[in-house]
Amino acid sequence: MSEEFTWGLPVIGYLFLAGVGAGALTVSASMFLRGGEGGRGMHVDTARYGALLAPFPIIIGSGLLVLELGSFQAGNWFRFLNLYKVLNLSPMSIGTWLITFTIGVSLVYAYTYVRNAPGLTIEQRYKLRNVVSWLAVPLGIATAVYTGILLGAMPSRPFWNSPILALLFLISALSTGVAAILLLRALFHRAAKEPESERHIVHTGYLLTASDAMLIGFELMAVFLFAMYAQLTIGNVREAVSVLFTGGSLASLFWIVFIVLGLIVPALIEIYYVVPKLLYHREFVIPKGVEIGVAVLVLVGGFTLRYVVVVAGQITGPIGI
Amino acid sequence: MVDINEDSIASRREFLKQAGGTAALGAGAAAALPSAAQAAVSETETKPRYGMLIDLRRCTGCHACSVACKAEFDVPLGSTRSWVEYVEKGNYPTVSRSFLPRLCNQCTNPPCVPVCPVNATWKREEDGIVVIDPDVCIGCKYCIQACPYDARFLNPVTGAADKCDFCLHRVAQGLVPSCVNTCIADARIFGDLNDPESKISKMIASNPVTVLRQEMGTEPNVYYINADHSDPRQPGQRHEYIRVDTHRRNQERA
Repeated sequence: MSEEFTWGLPVIGYLFLAGVGAGALTVSASMFLRGGEGGRGMHVDTARYGALLAPFPIIIGSGLLVLELGSFQAGNWFRFLNLYKVLNLSPMSIGTWLITFTIGVSLVYAYTYVRNAPGLTIEQRYKLRNVVSWLAVPLGIATAVYTGILLGAMPSRPFWNSPILALLFLISALSTGVAAILLLRALFHRAAKEPESERHIVHTGYLLTASDAMLIGFELMAVFLFAMYAQLTIGNVREAVSVLFTGGSLASLFWIVFIVLGLIVPALIEIYYVVPKLLYHREFVIPKGVEIGVAVLVLVGGFTLRYVVVVAGQITGPIGI
Repeated sequence: MVDINEDSIASRREFLKQAGGTAALGAGAAAALPSAAQAAVSETETKPRYGMLIDLRRCTGCHACSVACKAEFDVPLGSTRSWVEYVEKGNYPTVSRSFLPRLCNQCTNPPCVPVCPVNATWKREEDGIVVIDPDVCIGCKYCIQACPYDARFLNPVTGAADKCDFCLHRVAQGLVPSCVNTCIADARIFGDLNDPESKISKMIASNPVTVLRQEMGTEPNVYYINADHSDPRQPGQRHEYIRVDTHRRNQERA
């Protein structure tokens, strides 16, 4: 395609990074809450990686968006602040406020994981962490869903105009969030001194790996329904989705990189390591290299999904004139 | 008491606006509610709704409208507010070539307006023209995505979304838009669709007219006589040769 894209790599990067950040935030906060014991549950050591990561992809992604604004490129560097003068029913307006609150909450949530954080006693830190987690879970989910609604709001873009797109983005966000947490943990975790907390680390790893396999299962189902229902219509939507099928310009990227490398391969590897514990109650053991490889594949798949969707929406349109 | 009266008048006025168009209802209501309602009815009637009719039986595809528009607004290189597409189709000797001048349709239900996150674009109450305030627009390009006609573009000079506004500055002075003014064949007719006596209303009433992508539900205010709606992407038409030359940087229709 020779034509320039109205929304290019910065928007694709934003959709991916906001998804990773929102997913990591939701996963971290919910596993922390599930761990119990006030401020120090059994999953807290793993939840820390998600908490400390979450704000950065969201902030960087939002920053990319500002760089792509026409006003910014024309030299009106602060024109984007107009977004904060209005709240209307445009998904972008609602999303702006939502993502701003999410960034704020994710920063506070991350701060409660900073050891010896200035200005807070340990008790205050734990208490704050508990309160903020309850906000972080829904805000992360809302941010991930909104990235899909942003694209879905336009009848003039038949590829995007599907209610299941937002659900697909939510599942992908949670899955890439899990992957990001596992990746950071595999890279930076040093064995804990007490055997008890090391046992927790392994158990949390098992739960996250099993959850990711399940999320990928749901994601495959969402993709299947998205493509199948589009294929079953006549007209604009069917024409639009044809870019994903035989002869379509995005077919190989979609099938090989996203579906096979980004979903099926990591899910099979995860299932291979999860099944011994799940079915036979054996020890959960996964080599660090495999853990890293799976996480990278899931993240690459998540980026490819955003790339394929954003490009496909723009190279297709209503047929006829 | 005064406040209450004003409220009820206002709500009646709203009702009349919504009911609008049906003269019988207007007359009936006017009889029941003397002065205020009459004022409301005449207000609805005098408010223009500008539209354009492009008579393709007369168009020669000369691009004078595109050039006049470029000159009127100093539209940056590579961008177009108004353009003319050529549609070639058929297999020899059964062939045709037709022209399709394009511009913003000033839709009655403009999909570009509700997506704007900063209220920088709106449909004017007073004449139905969809306008953009380039000093408010942040250039997020959401409206460009939302327009099913590809009528909007990002103006690289202002950094804001831009499009045809029916030459609002000329219309406000009682002139016709620049493309209408320059048309060598009188193929473009501009006027008030709310005035049944206007030339455009009479032409629309007495000719078969079409709008672009009617199925989108946008209710365009730009009408065509004798337009060729052929599109190379229509599945049923792939067996015959169709070529659309957009004469724009985007070689394909959006």
